[in-house]
Amino acid sequence: MVDFEFTEDEIRFRDSVREFAQRYIEPKWIEIDEKGRIPVDLIKKMGDQGLFAIPVPEEYGGMGGSMVMTALAIEEIAYHDPAVAVAVYALLNNGWPLALALFGQEEAKMEILPKVASGDAFFGIASTEPQGGSDVAGIKTVAKKREDGKWVVNGEKTFISGVRELQELPEGGGFFLVSKTEKTGWSHKRITTFALLPKWNGKLREGWKPTLYDDIGRHGLSTGGFTLENFEIDDKYRIGDVNKGFYLVLQGFNIARILVAAATIGSGRWALDKAKEWLRTRKLFKGRPIASFEGVSFRYAELYTMLEAARYFVYKAAWMADNTYLTKSPRFKPQDLNLPVAMAKMLGPTTTTEIYTEVLKWFGAYGYTKECAAHRGWLGTFSYTIGAEGAQNIMKYIIARDTLGSDAVRNVWAEEED
Amino acid sequence: MGMTRVLVSIKLTYDVNQLKFEKDGTPILDACPRVMGEADKCAIEEAVKLKESGKAEEVVALTIGSTKEHQRILRDAYAMGVDKAYMVRLDSDDMATATTIAKIIASFAEKTGPYDIILLGSGASDTHSSVVGPMVASLLGYNLLANADRIEVKDSLVSITSTLEDGQYVVESPLPVVVTVTSEANQPRIPTIRDILRSKKKPIEEIEAADLEADLSRIELVEIKKFEVPRKRIKIDATSNVGEAVDKLIKELENEGVI
Repeated sequence: MVDFEFTEDEIRFRDSVREFAQRYIEPKWIEIDEKGRIPVDLIKKMGDQGLFAIPVPEEYGGMGGSMVMTALAIEEIAYHDPAVAVAVYALLNNGWPLALALFGQEEAKMEILPKVASGDAFFGIASTEPQGGSDVAGIKTVAKKREDGKWVVNGEKTFISGVRELQELPEGGGFFLVSKTEKTGWSHKRITTFALLPKWNGKLREGWKPTLYDDIGRHGLSTGGFTLENFEIDDKYRIGDVNKGFYLVLQGFNIARILVAAATIGSGRWALDKAKEWLRTRKLFKGRPIASFEGVSFRYAELYTMLEAARYFVYKAAWMADNTYLTKSPRFKPQDLNLPVAMAKMLGPTTTTEIYTEVLKWFGAYGYTKECAAHRGWLGTFSYTIGAEGAQNIMKYIIARDTLGSDAVRNVWAEEED
Repeated sequence: MGMTRVLVSIKLTYDVNQLKFEKDGTPILDACPRVMGEADKCAIEEAVKLKESGKAEEVVALTIGSTKEHQRILRDAYAMGVDKAYMVRLDSDDMATATTIAKIIASFAEKTGPYDIILLGSGASDTHSSVVGPMVASLLGYNLLANADRIEVKDSLVSITSTLEDGQYVVESPLPVVVTVTSEANQPRIPTIRDILRSKKKPIEEIEAADLEADLSRIELVEIKKFEVPRKRIKIDATSNVGEAVDKLIKELENEGVI
């Protein structure tokens, strides 16, 4: 039989993150969203508190924790930062460092991961390009190996989180870069991944030209793009074998998607708790609390239930990830995570979007004011209904393929290569 | 100064922020989580800071109780940086009075000591009796420095700053001394995940209360007649002059000691 309780250490850790978030994040989340910036000293505090590289093994400077603990941390941070800028920064700086720890070369891991763990560097994902995000096999950024063994990369990435932050951090940082090898053309068999470090050891590198976008929400975390013009990458930063990167980045996406779902759930939980007080105390029609109207309370009940269901998906997927990657005796293969992760990533953001839609209506005209602040959570989390670490329709595609069978559901990655 | 040893006694208290009440005002204790009190966390923080500044060589944490929750707060103390942790098992956790607790702490200090500084929270987050610290000092014949918002140790002198209604007092005493620490003394450190994971492996030594040479024969059974949260309704008419109403409200809140 299954034990559905968190362990004592997981609860203690969650409580410590809660205390940190109450002390340092909650007082600032609205200002972060308004000013469009996470203060660097808050990032450093989070590093000192051990909130980055949580699942990365201690030998690489990480915290030696688990994916369950990481998800708990992200959920708590998001509860205290419903606009999710801080939470998303944190989840990127946990999920992609783990992917580097799992698939990167030793020298690169020892060089990059301790700086990410300390908060001095950022490590996210650079996959999406102007012509598409979901179609990873269609990317056009290309890396060619030179005679001296270095790779030279040319291309363009768009809708990348952290473009501004890495420029502001003392060490800098970069991304888990997805690139074609030697030539472009549609293919998932000619993809190699790298640790791309546009700013490293405090210096900006030649050949990386960033731009910033203006998002409608989650303003605290930058979204931007960049072009790579003959950007040189030492072979030690290659992640995994040549032409095997597609399978690695999909695993990285699985890890990150668990944490994205955790973030949206934390924000959704905040919205429901904020609404709960209102529904219980706001009285109309001669002293009746709004909660006494079944049109409201039944809807609250539905949303509460869906959010709890989404939480169970998240922690089941996190537990499976721990028993795939962070154990000496794996119980699952990496592809076993595809279905539960897709379900978590599908349900978490969509439930939270539904929660915000209802909560804003329950608040009435007050919900339409900036003072209410619920709109910040709504706009921040909506991004994850659109996509970000995986579009909703791709999640549905994965669930359909893995349940109905890839012989019946068209296998988009079995198309003929160029 | 020789090896300075600090003993911190911590209590498992009800988390009053999560306490709910029946309609008659009776607290629903069964459903209320229990935690280390805020003042106790501040006491641990002060002790660990003394060690980090080289003014103490060992910090020992003690709690009185027998449950897993008592073990948990000792692990939390380890995660904050104490060196040793003890649990004194007492059969009747729920009915231990302040006098009994003070006797146990004093006997423990005599058995495992000597301690130069004994720190306690100035009052438990739930019962707020604030008598245990003074009783421990009296039993051991130590000086008492009560309600410390700030503690300084120089050579063998401990001085505290205490904020009372009529101002701030600076009081000092040579060692050994009992100091009670308020929840305003500091902002306790938040253990990191590494601290938490490492604390799991640290030993908790258990001692039976009966093995301490304390007079435990008078564990008084006290009947708690009623808990009451005093509520007062203050009505201010704000319909005519809002400015005047605000002034009146401020005055009423000052009279009640709220601000």
